[in-house]
Amino acid sequence: MDKAISFNQVTHTYQANTPYAQNALDNISLEIPTNSFTAIIGHTGSGKSTLVQHINALLKPTQGSVTVYNRSITPTTTNKNLKELRRHVGMVFQFPEKQLFEETVIKDIMFGPKNYGMVDAEAEQAAIEAMKLVGLDKSFSEKSPFDLSGGQMRRVAIAGVLAMKPEVLILDEPTAGLDPRGHKEIMDLASYLHDHDHITIILVTHQMDDVVNYASEVVVMDKGKIVQTGTPAEVFADPKWVYRMQLNLPTSAEFAQQLIDAGVPIGQLPLTIDQLADRITELARKGENPDD
Amino acid sequence: MTNFLFGRYLPGNSWIHQMSPQSKLLLSFYFVIVIFFANNLVSYGVLALLIIVVILLSGVSITFFLKGIRPLIWLIIFTVGLQILFSSGGTILWQWGPFSITNLSLINGGFIFIRFLLIIMISTVLTLTTTPLAIADGVQTILKPLKRVHFPVDTLALMLSIALRFVPTLMDEMETILNAQRSRGVDFGSGSLTHRVKAAVPLLVPLFTGAINHAENLSTAMEARGFTDSEHRSKYRIYRWQLKDTLSWIVFLVAGGLVLYLRK
Repeated sequence: MDKAISFNQVTHTYQANTPYAQNALDNISLEIPTNSFTAIIGHTGSGKSTLVQHINALLKPTQGSVTVYNRSITPTTTNKNLKELRRHVGMVFQFPEKQLFEETVIKDIMFGPKNYGMVDAEAEQAAIEAMKLVGLDKSFSEKSPFDLSGGQMRRVAIAGVLAMKPEVLILDEPTAGLDPRGHKEIMDLASYLHDHDHITIILVTHQMDDVVNYASEVVVMDKGKIVQTGTPAEVFADPKWVYRMQLNLPTSAEFAQQLIDAGVPIGQLPLTIDQLADRITELARKGENPDD
Repeated sequence: MTNFLFGRYLPGNSWIHQMSPQSKLLLSFYFVIVIFFANNLVSYGVLALLIIVVILLSGVSITFFLKGIRPLIWLIIFTVGLQILFSSGGTILWQWGPFSITNLSLINGGFIFIRFLLIIMISTVLTLTTTPLAIADGVQTILKPLKRVHFPVDTLALMLSIALRFVPTLMDEMETILNAQRSRGVDFGSGSLTHRVKAAVPLLVPLFTGAINHAENLSTAMEARGFTDSEHRSKYRIYRWQLKDTLSWIVFLVAGGLVLYLRK
């Protein structure tokens, strides 16, 4: 597989050369393949957000280099001509509803595309498509974004990023503070964009259930270092290690672990609720015919 | 911006960190007044010596301190430059149109330079060693006598401490919004003046709406926790006058007396 993004021995220090200096990333090397759905996990302050902000050059490495679609970002990269790079990489920040500012919803969504050179008609078309994607009715387009509910505002903000038609979409805790339904809708949207539009998705999250349900690759961070990469099954294989990283198991695995502790021979740890249900039915069937 | 020290706090446990905020505030104020009494090199020397001792006592490395106030030097040089070029009196050394340099203007410019530097140094030491909340408490203690004339000291102190508390929060928020708009293709800080002013709109509107939301949430939360008015409250943080404060005042008063004695 191609790699969309690669980190080459990246170190990032905030406020370098002052008493406030803080090492946020420590010698990170990482490759994120095109069309992958990568989840980045780690406890608070492990450097996840710092890492993803390197991908569209909002932060530049203190040492090392980041390559995004053949464009390389090094400590000496200047702030000029980064627009082209940022057009490829859409970034949804934590609580993205904070970035809304225009008079109407449609204008706010058109803002990004217009900055990247689309003419009004094109931008409007892109905005209407993006609104449909995030499940906002057309009737919202002339409303003020500040009159909407929190969940709707977040959808407008996400639509504003999608309208730029990015090839890589970074979601930094996109579901924080949403109700269960809003949560599922946003995650399903990410999954749809990945499967249908072949967008590379990078998801920063604390929800282990989302990791096992949606992601194909997982990157685990701790104290500014990458401590593990692999599929969800590989990463969650060792529960003790997961707890040591101050992370949780997905709900199903947690439940299965308690069954194992109680003496039920589950075997390999099931990650999703479907896998757990399968394992339990299998065991129940064996119980009916102990001779099998 | 990252190396800029003025107005920031550096945690520590030095002599100056431990002094009570009200005496630090008053000492800085007193020091600034004394600076204006000094008018020859010897008296400035006394003050410079004093400020060096103060910086050493604050536990901040001198090179780092000087680097931190360097951005302000340009402002001082600009002011001093104007003073030198436009003041009159004394023997004229050089003249061109409206500009002239005289021996008196050079001396005055030098003094202004030293005064600015000393004022910036003492106020930087103050903010480096005192948390914003402690400064707000200090201001409240100092302004207490104004209650007699029905000045709302407590309300002012409350507003001051909330304002100071929210400076870093709003700075963080600004950073996030800046980054969010950057990734939506806004180019801050380049292009023509009109372009730059226009680019500020996507930053300012969310910043203001965010601040209004904070205010609403905070006032609701304060009411829910039983806040009715700022007059009838007890205090959690109490800063007492200590021996360190008295000793520091003695040193500063002696230095002040010396300056008065040495001035011409």
